[in-house]
Amino acid sequence: MIRGKIRGRWLAAAAALTSVTLLAAGCSGSAEGNDGGDGTSAPAAEGTATDQELVVWAGSQTPITPNFNPYAVGVLHLANGGIYESLFAYNKLQDVDPTPMLAESFEWNEDGTQLTVKIRGGVTWNDGQPFTAEDVVYSFTNDTAKPVYLEDAVAQDESTVVFSFAEPAYANEFAILGSTYIVPKHVFSEHEADSGEDAEGNALQGLVAWDNAEAPVGTGPYMLDTASNAAYTAKANPDYWGGAPKVASLRYVGIDANQSAEDLLTTGQIDWTTMFVPDPERVTSTGGFGYVNTPVDPVVLYTCSNTDLGCEGAQTDVAVRQALDAAIDRSAITEKAFVGLAQPISPTFALLGRDDKWIADGMPKESPQSADAAAAGKILEEAGYTKDADGFYGKDGKPITLTLTSVDGWSDFNNAAKLIEEQAKAAGLKVTASTISWNEFADARVSGEFELIMGGVVGTSLADPFQIYREWFTGDYTQKVGTALEPGEWNISRYDNDEVNAAVQAASETNDEAAKKEAYATVQEHIVSDLPYIPIVVNGTQTFFNTTKFTGWPTEEDMYMFPPSWQGPSSGVVLGKLGGAE
Amino acid sequence: MTGGPPGPPVTRTTSTTTPRRHDEEEPHARDTEGRPETMKFYARRIAFYAVTLWAAISLNFFIPRLLPGDPFSILMAKLQRAGGIPAGTENSIRLLLGAAEDQTLWEQYLTYWKNVLTGNLGVSVTNFPTPVTELIGDALPWTLGLVGTATIISFVLGIGLGALAGWKRGTWVDSLVPSTTMLQSLPYFWVALVLIFVFAVSLQWFPIIGAYDVFHFNGPEWSWAFVGSVLYHAFLPAVTIVISSVGGWLLGMRNMMVSTLSEDYVTTAEAKGLRPRRVFTTYAMRNAALPSLAGFGVSLGFVVAGSLVMEQVFTYPGVGKLMITAVRNNDYALMQGVFLVITLAVLAALFLMDLIYGFLDPRTRHHD
Repeated sequence: MIRGKIRGRWLAAAAALTSVTLLAAGCSGSAEGNDGGDGTSAPAAEGTATDQELVVWAGSQTPITPNFNPYAVGVLHLANGGIYESLFAYNKLQDVDPTPMLAESFEWNEDGTQLTVKIRGGVTWNDGQPFTAEDVVYSFTNDTAKPVYLEDAVAQDESTVVFSFAEPAYANEFAILGSTYIVPKHVFSEHEADSGEDAEGNALQGLVAWDNAEAPVGTGPYMLDTASNAAYTAKANPDYWGGAPKVASLRYVGIDANQSAEDLLTTGQIDWTTMFVPDPERVTSTGGFGYVNTPVDPVVLYTCSNTDLGCEGAQTDVAVRQALDAAIDRSAITEKAFVGLAQPISPTFALLGRDDKWIADGMPKESPQSADAAAAGKILEEAGYTKDADGFYGKDGKPITLTLTSVDGWSDFNNAAKLIEEQAKAAGLKVTASTISWNEFADARVSGEFELIMGGVVGTSLADPFQIYREWFTGDYTQKVGTALEPGEWNISRYDNDEVNAAVQAASETNDEAAKKEAYATVQEHIVSDLPYIPIVVNGTQTFFNTTKFTGWPTEEDMYMFPPSWQGPSSGVVLGKLGGAE
Repeated sequence: MTGGPPGPPVTRTTSTTTPRRHDEEEPHARDTEGRPETMKFYARRIAFYAVTLWAAISLNFFIPRLLPGDPFSILMAKLQRAGGIPAGTENSIRLLLGAAEDQTLWEQYLTYWKNVLTGNLGVSVTNFPTPVTELIGDALPWTLGLVGTATIISFVLGIGLGALAGWKRGTWVDSLVPSTTMLQSLPYFWVALVLIFVFAVSLQWFPIIGAYDVFHFNGPEWSWAFVGSVLYHAFLPAVTIVISSVGGWLLGMRNMMVSTLSEDYVTTAEAKGLRPRRVFTTYAMRNAALPSLAGFGVSLGFVVAGSLVMEQVFTYPGVGKLMITAVRNNDYALMQGVFLVITLAVLAALFLMDLIYGFLDPRTRHHD
């Protein structure tokens, strides 16, 4: 009864808010109306209060090094979302407005150079200090976190922060509102001079050198309790702005092998984890576990495509890439290599079901599911290739040979690569699948010294493929072959097309849906035919959760947030919603 | 490195060395002129180990740098798989790994030596900001405790049963040889997985992971409950190690025993009418165990390396686990630290065995 009531109220509140922000988005620059009533109330916890400890595996391996500094590379999962929160939480799976967290609303000015954010009132840090606009300003302007595109952030009054940019910054909306953690100025400013050592034993100074492992001060639903190198625990923050969490304590454990995690799941010893289980029935058949599969991350063949930047090999010829694309039997790969857990991919890299509105007219919605060897052959013959005695296409008597690598031990990728080798052979293309170590894989990607790699693309965090277009397809996000990509640069294929670059730039400067669609149409037209990444499938993400002990999980019916236990800040939203199931 | 269980390095099937008899002393004359000879022997040994140590520590520096990839790109790939790089972390990565290019390899080598001599092994990147010494310090007790104990149990069991099998050659005890060697030839991780499946998942008699109950204890503590938990959690991993290494000891011992039993002094002892028990322990077993003891010394040195597969499968917090993490992530500092400790332990064990052998067997002290 009580549960239903609270939930109903929250949904109504969310609906009210959604309509308000939708209005604002539809007509950029308009004033964002007052959120009526308790329109910004937090996602309230469901179920009953419980003392049963929630055991989480978020992918940590032993030894665990306690580090709860959101700026550190080795920050532990609890910190991202559980302790530190962002201004808004974006739902990676649905085309909905972001959930307000530490902010209540936001508004862009007309040309996208100013973003005004209203801060939530009445929030306190877990050390009792009030949360203020100054904390927000500090979180964006301290030396460690300040993004290059941000000109300034100013606290206009107690509850308003204004961000200003030199250029239209619509494209950075998610980075600012959805992926920057808000930290307490009164604590963090005291550690700016902390010192340590970097990887080479040189002096390292600044916030990065601080591990924040002693009672981290955050606004989130949980507070750190104990930490060892095998596990760490958290207890509920009684003063959480969204209402005290109903699950009294959490335990994050370190597990070294996937098999162990699966065994612990089937014996009911972990309650929430996101991991690959080829046969999910084995876990859910015990009756105590719920399971959702949320495919978001594209699996592709990276091709080093651009001879201007130093790529070498047959795959630099677009005809070869197109022929390979036509030769792939995606349904066989989905069934055999990805055990039916993957979904069809769109060659436009829009996530099917979520981003359908962004797929331009005339663009293929899905990459073909079956192989078409004849079409592949036709493409090659038109490009001047001829079949040799062995049945392989080539030019000037030299057959096309391509090496397709995948990381040893990623069995789904290895199997898919083997299948592609066979499928290509049927179409007259000589592709040799081989496995490489993780280190070689990482090295090949950043240096660009490869022909074909079976790899992943990070799915975007909101219903818009823009991030993929910019970071994976534009010339600004790549380097010459032999030069390592910088952090944040993902253009592994070295693709550099002036028209695509210009269209992406145009899209970044507007918040108008029609203008964006037009720009995306240009991008899609090029990437669908140039194929610097040959799309294969969208890979599944499997999350398992204990429904006997706890309730409030994201389910197929109510996917209020991206469910993985390792994803911040959304995991914090999930934690805040959990409660005991009776 | 050592992928398999710590066990006898070589399986001896036959041995031509004749065990010395205790009552057959060397001529006394040698002792007087043996002094400078002995000194020279030890000086030579020490010099040899000093050079080996230098070479090992230098290799320890260069080998990790020959690995493909660099920590930066690996970290990037890793973060991507974990859901993308959050805003703000990008800068951290630059700060953490950016300075590496400023130094030449030679400068790095000199810094490395300085650090090694001052006991500063650097900071681990994967476990930032924990110093490598602390990581190794945390892992060593678990490794020494579990792998060390299991190696000793395996050795004692192997030697005991091997002696028995050699003594009662041709009886049912002899059938231990093929069965244990078969167990040893099974893939190590497979044994571990089967044990887990049967005893931890199906029967649920034993825990699946950890060195202690990580779902109950918030870290190591001094209490009987904790000690009990440690022993309970060590059982399956220890059994895995013993199962997969006892066969080697057993086979080696059994064969040594058989050849020792055909020695004249055993026949003499039997002819003297000594009780079979005495012949077995004092005459045969004691002499037959000598070559195995040498092998045991070396495997004790390798105990420090932990047991890669066991630690991975059981999520056991040992040194082997650190080594995998370090190699996978090109965490140079951690890799160097772990390799250094292993190198030192193995060299120390070899050195000790050398000295003991020189002491036990004067013949080894002579150069030519």
